[in-house]
Amino acid sequence: MKIPLIFNKKNRILLKELTKTDFKLRYQGSVLGYLWALLRPLMMFAILYIVFSKLLRIGNDIPHYPVYLLCGTTMWNFFTECTSQGIQAIVTRGDLLRKISFPKYIVVVSATLTAVINMLINVAVVIIFALINGVTPSLTWFLIIPAIFELYLLSLGIAFLLGSINVKYRDITSIWDVIVQALFYAVPIIYPISMVASTSTLAAKVILLNPIAQAIQDIRYNLITPETITIWNFLENHLVAIIPIVIVFITLTLGALIFRQKSKFFAEEV
Amino acid sequence: MKREIGKRIEIEDGNNDTAIQVKNLSKSFKLPTEQAFGLKQAFFNRLRGIKGYKEQKVLKNLDFEIKKGEFIGIVGRNGSGKSTLLKILAGVYYPQKGEITINGSLVPFIELGVGFNPELTGRENVYMNGALLGFSNEEMEKMYDDIWEFAELKDFQDQKLKNYSSGMQVRLAFSIAIRAKGDILLLDEVLAVGDAAFQQKCNDYFTSLKNKKQTVILVTHSMRDVRRFCTRAILLENGKIIENGDPAKIANSYNKLLGIE
Repeated sequence: MKIPLIFNKKNRILLKELTKTDFKLRYQGSVLGYLWALLRPLMMFAILYIVFSKLLRIGNDIPHYPVYLLCGTTMWNFFTECTSQGIQAIVTRGDLLRKISFPKYIVVVSATLTAVINMLINVAVVIIFALINGVTPSLTWFLIIPAIFELYLLSLGIAFLLGSINVKYRDITSIWDVIVQALFYAVPIIYPISMVASTSTLAAKVILLNPIAQAIQDIRYNLITPETITIWNFLENHLVAIIPIVIVFITLTLGALIFRQKSKFFAEEV
Repeated sequence: MKREIGKRIEIEDGNNDTAIQVKNLSKSFKLPTEQAFGLKQAFFNRLRGIKGYKEQKVLKNLDFEIKKGEFIGIVGRNGSGKSTLLKILAGVYYPQKGEITINGSLVPFIELGVGFNPELTGRENVYMNGALLGFSNEEMEKMYDDIWEFAELKDFQDQKLKNYSSGMQVRLAFSIAIRAKGDILLLDEVLAVGDAAFQQKCNDYFTSLKNKKQTVILVTHSMRDVRRFCTRAILLENGKIIENGDPAKIANSYNKLLGIE
């Protein structure tokens, strides 16, 4: 894979068309169509909000907690959608791979781009909710961009890595579903990390070493309230605080290398 | 597990009159003997020392060369390796052993209607298919009307593809495919689509290709087409080239092979 070839004109057009059809097909035949991209996560949020904030009374000490929660679920949904679509992409598009020669990573990237579009729409909703909830707009809002990008690179790395194994061993899809379920509780989305920190500082630190948790906390810090605990203000040792970024880098590099090696045989194995 | 892998070289050499050079090309597939699509099966197979697949040799030590401007017919019985050979030339499959050199740009299409989706409209499918053939949006817009004109399906543009008859789908696919531009065309069983009137259009297209001295590699079962269009033919049997030369002679050999005189 020569670098200049990765995004030449032909591949860009193909990527665009594949993403367009992915997006169109996803909401085919439903009355509300694209609106579901918004409604589904909002409904999920409503359920979590009622159960955890109203019934279990979690997070009442955090300012703008509903937006705080919505922001977390939005980013979490982005991560899960990106990885699960990305992992399955090669198998879903198997028909295409068997018949025509083109760079295989395009299929994975296009599947994740659909998730990116959904995420962007949902971030707009989060921002609207934040404004309604009385969060003051600030220039730090732009700092969520690198954190979202980090989350995307991590998802892409996982999609490349597991997606290339999934071609031969379809169990990966099911295994990943379970891992995602477990990860959901390992990331401070429905519970504020301050709750963990009040009983065990070490546990909170370990949780923050997970790049998903680190990115989500960074986004909340910059978008909603500086009272958020982030890896930067919670860990004294900033060298340790870089661990999540190193994890992302390793995942992406490993994913890309394995994908490149295995992709030669996708057409005959899928 | 390290796999043997052959070489695929792409060059752009205007002074060289060879379009494709194939040296000692072999390819085999692993056919799972038991359903080995799961980790569990793979694990148990390894424990028991079973490979879980058997090696099927599809192509055996092929050697041939195609010059620029040749119209090559690849013929052979079902399972003789024609389509695999075409897919290796197209870059869909990797050569396992040997070396292939492609001189010039390939039209990366071997089957009609690749990427067609029944849930999308004709228009959307045309753009998708065009993107796979490497056309930009502007290029597609320019030829858009011609595509529908040629396919004789103008009134169906905004219908979903699932509402097309199979003949209509193939006509549309063919109509897009013939716009493809490149130094080497790879075609798999694309003739014989549509009714008699459309057939005539296809024949005209192939005649024009031949007259233009376009390099074409055509996989087909129609000996009539081999005799009509090809300048040379290659006969495959059990993954080996058993004859390479005059199309009329090869058409006869093929018929003999099938037991038709």
